[in-house]
Amino acid sequence: MQKLQSDDVADAADPVTLQIVRGALSAVQSEMEAVIERTAMSPFIREKKDFYAALFDGTGRLISGSNLPLFGDVIAPIAEHYPLETMRPGDIYWFNDCYASRGAVSHTPDQVFVAPVFADGQLSAFAQSWAHFNDVGGMRAGSLSPDCTEIYQEGIIVPPVRVAREGVVVEELLRLFYRNSRFPEMVKGDTRASIAAIRLGERRLEELFQRFGRAATLAAFNALISDTEQQLRAKLRALLPEGEHRFTDRVDSDGHGNGPIKLRYKLNVTPDAISLDATESDDQVRGPVNFLMAPEVPAMVFASYLLGENTNTLNSGAHQALDKIVLRPGSVLQPNFPAPLGMRGVTMMRNMAACLGLLNVATGGKAMAAHSAYVIWYMRGRDENDELFLLSDGLGVGYGARTTADGNDAVYLVAQENFPSEFLETVFPVRVRRYAINPDTGGPGRWRGGCGLIREVEVLAKEAMISMRIDSVENPPWGVAGGHAAGTGRCVINPGRPDERVLRPLSDGNMVKRGDIVRIETGGGGGWGHPFDREADAVLRDVRGGFVSRESAEANYGVVLTPDGRSVDTAATEKRRAKRPATKLFHRHGYHEVLD
Amino acid sequence: MAHAPKHSQAKAIIGVDTGGTFTDITLLNPATGEVWNAKTPSTPLDPSQGFGNGITEILSTSGLAGSEIARVLHGTTVATNLILEGKGAKAALLTTRGFKYVIEIGRQDVPRRGSLFAWVKPKRPIAPEHIFEIGGRIEPDGNELEALDEAAIRQAAKEIKAAGISAVAVVFLHSYANADHERRAAAIIEEEHPDALVSISSDVLPVFREYERSMTTILNVAVMPVVSAYVERLDQRISERKIEAPLLLMKSSGGVTSARNVKRAPVETALSGPAAGAVGATFVGANAGVKNLIGIDIGGTSADVCLIHDGKPGLTTSGHVGDWPLGLPMVDIVTIGAGGGSIARVSKSGALTVGPESAGAEPGPVCYRRGGEEPTVTDAHLVLGHLPPYLLDGKFALDIEGAQRAVRKYVADPLGMSVEAAARGILSIVDNLMVGAIRIVSVERGHDPRDFALLPFGGAGPLHGGALARLLGMRTMLVPPNPGVLSALGLLVSNLKAEFTRTCLQKARATDLSLIARVFGELEADAVAWLEQEDVPQNARQTNWTASVRYQNQGFELFIPWAAREVTPDALAATIAAFHQTHERLYTFAQEDTPVEIVTLRVDAQGVFPAPAMREIAHGGNTKDAIVAHQKMHLASGTVDGPVYDRARLGSDARIEGPAIVTQLDATTLVLDGQTATTDRFGNLLISEKR
Repeated sequence: MQKLQSDDVADAADPVTLQIVRGALSAVQSEMEAVIERTAMSPFIREKKDFYAALFDGTGRLISGSNLPLFGDVIAPIAEHYPLETMRPGDIYWFNDCYASRGAVSHTPDQVFVAPVFADGQLSAFAQSWAHFNDVGGMRAGSLSPDCTEIYQEGIIVPPVRVAREGVVVEELLRLFYRNSRFPEMVKGDTRASIAAIRLGERRLEELFQRFGRAATLAAFNALISDTEQQLRAKLRALLPEGEHRFTDRVDSDGHGNGPIKLRYKLNVTPDAISLDATESDDQVRGPVNFLMAPEVPAMVFASYLLGENTNTLNSGAHQALDKIVLRPGSVLQPNFPAPLGMRGVTMMRNMAACLGLLNVATGGKAMAAHSAYVIWYMRGRDENDELFLLSDGLGVGYGARTTADGNDAVYLVAQENFPSEFLETVFPVRVRRYAINPDTGGPGRWRGGCGLIREVEVLAKEAMISMRIDSVENPPWGVAGGHAAGTGRCVINPGRPDERVLRPLSDGNMVKRGDIVRIETGGGGGWGHPFDREADAVLRDVRGGFVSRESAEANYGVVLTPDGRSVDTAATEKRRAKRPATKLFHRHGYHEVLD
Repeated sequence: MAHAPKHSQAKAIIGVDTGGTFTDITLLNPATGEVWNAKTPSTPLDPSQGFGNGITEILSTSGLAGSEIARVLHGTTVATNLILEGKGAKAALLTTRGFKYVIEIGRQDVPRRGSLFAWVKPKRPIAPEHIFEIGGRIEPDGNELEALDEAAIRQAAKEIKAAGISAVAVVFLHSYANADHERRAAAIIEEEHPDALVSISSDVLPVFREYERSMTTILNVAVMPVVSAYVERLDQRISERKIEAPLLLMKSSGGVTSARNVKRAPVETALSGPAAGAVGATFVGANAGVKNLIGIDIGGTSADVCLIHDGKPGLTTSGHVGDWPLGLPMVDIVTIGAGGGSIARVSKSGALTVGPESAGAEPGPVCYRRGGEEPTVTDAHLVLGHLPPYLLDGKFALDIEGAQRAVRKYVADPLGMSVEAAARGILSIVDNLMVGAIRIVSVERGHDPRDFALLPFGGAGPLHGGALARLLGMRTMLVPPNPGVLSALGLLVSNLKAEFTRTCLQKARATDLSLIARVFGELEADAVAWLEQEDVPQNARQTNWTASVRYQNQGFELFIPWAAREVTPDALAATIAAFHQTHERLYTFAQEDTPVEIVTLRVDAQGVFPAPAMREIAHGGNTKDAIVAHQKMHLASGTVDGPVYDRARLGSDARIEGPAIVTQLDATTLVLDGQTATTDRFGNLLISEKR
């Protein structure tokens, strides 16, 4: 990658410019996202809000972007095909090629569009949009399926291409792309929205450069990046004792009979460096849970966790705060082409949990407990007009308890929204029967893990095929510091009826017919701290609110309620709590000092 | 209308705008355009006291008797504060079986700029144990799928009563398509629990998306007891002062409505105060011949921005108050935590930040001598000579040395800058925050701010307006005659308004014109009934039809005026054509090949009061005669000895070259180097960049 000349950049950014630039970048990002949100067409974007905008400096370093720890170096793969010096104002670059981008994009439906931004005639920044398009071809509607065994089945692969040259869009490329989608109208709308957003980002960044001058603006970018690096380094240093800290987390299965799949991490802290080694993780698998993890990702997990609510500081400085990350080609975190990647979300979520696990090992349990992986299910079929429909519903799960707060109940991921039931029923041939908290899925603890949820629908289409993605069933999200593991999810068809059946958690090709009931239950987050230390009144509140059963209150929290269930039986509770179970650092199927 | 009887021309109207610190009262004689202003301290424990005191004061200043008042208009923050502080009444909810946890789950998201790890889900206004699931089901098209379980409602009502809860919301799935179940539930609750206040979602917000509708209905009933009691006290304060005129309250949508309606739908006043400001800005703009403007109301702790396009404030149906969505039509206002009292700080890593912490009214800026220690935006202005050393006609001396000391200690020294550079830095940062808010209401809504005039108001607005207009490339700035009390003026000039909305989803290729016609007909009938009830004379009535429209599968709708007063294929086609155009204007493209869906229909009703004539000011003499002092102003271009004008002494057609300061009782206007200010016949200051 080309380096900026040192005389291009002012020596230091003055604090006022720095603050204004920081605010302006975040405003530009918001403006771009507003354009995507309001003009995209696929439900993934329009209601579920699966999109982000990001800004990079002229060398491709992230200066403002998503706070999801998922993304990698977006610009380098483009530059390999289109050297930076050949880029011109008005160009747009595009790709979804996971392997060519070394995980900058980690599954094929995610489309990245990038516009270079010029100041004083020199390449100075990039504006990027990222959005999940709902169908880009492939084996099944929605492109992603647990059945996939190679990436060719997950939709059309777009290597880095130049989709606009000096403002002129190459319509042929887009026509080719649209032709490969089962929902070309939506894909067309989403593409237009993405392009409109980066055009806006381009203009706004040009204005920023004009206002402060190129040198001062670039100096501000540098300062923002080094500020984040320093902050994160300081936090890591304060938290992590020297030595080697190991943690292993597990993905249940690849949907093809392989599992558990272990993510084995070693965090090595020496006076000179902090490095992460994931080479002992299991080999890549046949099913699509392989996660082609960009090396930046673990650092972003630490940054996202340790920098707290200051999410506007999440830039490439965070990547630099870890000195070294080693991944092993051929492993589940660095699969070789053409392994399928479509369900990488489950592994991405376990990676987040494994990073939290490392912090817990290093601190003796002073970090957050584990979460479930968000749940996605698809229902595909034909509606009463014989038109193809694709319902792709993301369901919230419980997140891990914090050292100072309960885990959040029923949350999907940052900024991604559910489908209102009233929306589902007007757009898809389903009737929603229940949308509820899934009780007892929050891991008991001094701080309770978050609960998952229940979505129950009746199928109104004549026939439909269901694809299901639930993880953390056999290996529930762990609790820490005395907190228990979370309860788990499942999908059951026709519960309580003679034809009741439970679907495999990661499976496709499940046929349902009109009148069938699909009930999906999602898992929770682990607890933190000894459940006997939770205020009895908080446990009572949870029981009355339907988050915790009476039985669990008594068995796990040692809290006995009066017969009417309206108050705490103080005497019985004291007696029960006198016999306090001993704990170990982690809890998953019982307490363990070490998880493997 | 009862509020505008035949003799109303001879009668005066009073506007009372209750703010956090002060209550502004304005009295207008619509016949002569004479205006009286007064300010009294707000009384947060019982805001009706400040309201009453203010009326007493304005009657005495104006020399009018209570019987000479035609109507009293009021902007209130009572509902807003109840919502923001979570202090509404304890409430219960009846909802469709299976959907008890809709509000608990919400939209299952973490805010886009929030942290997945650090964010804590806000506590819901109703705990699940006070939510009762009721059998019975309405389909999206309004058909009854399952009969209502009346016994379950009776049982729930008894339990609610036994729990000592007397505020009940009822939200059933798809009730916008058929309200029968909700109405029946309300009737049963009233039988079983006659003391309960009941709010049904098909009354409050008959629009799809159950979480937003639930939250709006719940907040409505939760603020109902306090707001109702408050409104009754206001009525009492009015009649105590021998005023027989009706009380009208400002709604979030920028129109006023009778106290009776507010008691029924109090949540409609959630943005009462800022909406009044938007109406005032619209009015001032119209007088000055400006139909496109962006208003920014800068107070002590926050700035509210609104956009007025073609003489109308922008409305949104996806607004929020605090953590909660409110789906009602409200003036589209973006609020940020930046104002005169915002505190400037330098972090350990050397970053200079301004706000959102504010010194507020107490202790206030350092220069107010009330114990403030950290420098604020106001202190920065004073240090730079943007403010005269005395406020309020010389009654209140500002502490310049204190302000300088604070800026030096907390900002200049840590950053190694001069005091003036530090003060300029503080202002640059806060100005840029405000620019961000202006961009949201303009650019993110498809408007170019350069096509708008800036109307800064509130106590601190006119100090920032010049810099903001310059940063945004806006050519004109309009400073109203009394920027500090523009919201009260907005009350005086506001009209009666009500909105009647219902979701009536039409699939793209199967638009049912007869259904649209029926729903518009019913909404129109509701609107007419409301106009009757408010005694609006025929010639003062207006109703407008709008439909929210989206591309098939798009998740966001645009409200488009219905193209005719009848529902015909032509009207539908014209409405859809207008939708494509609007979409193109807002989002740079239209997709005419994509099918279009009608989602929600709305009829807006207005009772239009005769527009008051505003008093014109005399042509001024020599502008120089209005100069009352000169003072040092530290500008980016250097330090100058700038003139201070007394605005009260400026006649019309005065011309002032910047740099200059124009002082008045309720605000100070800063005219920057390179800007020229002129006055028009209404006393507006029009400021533009020199060519």
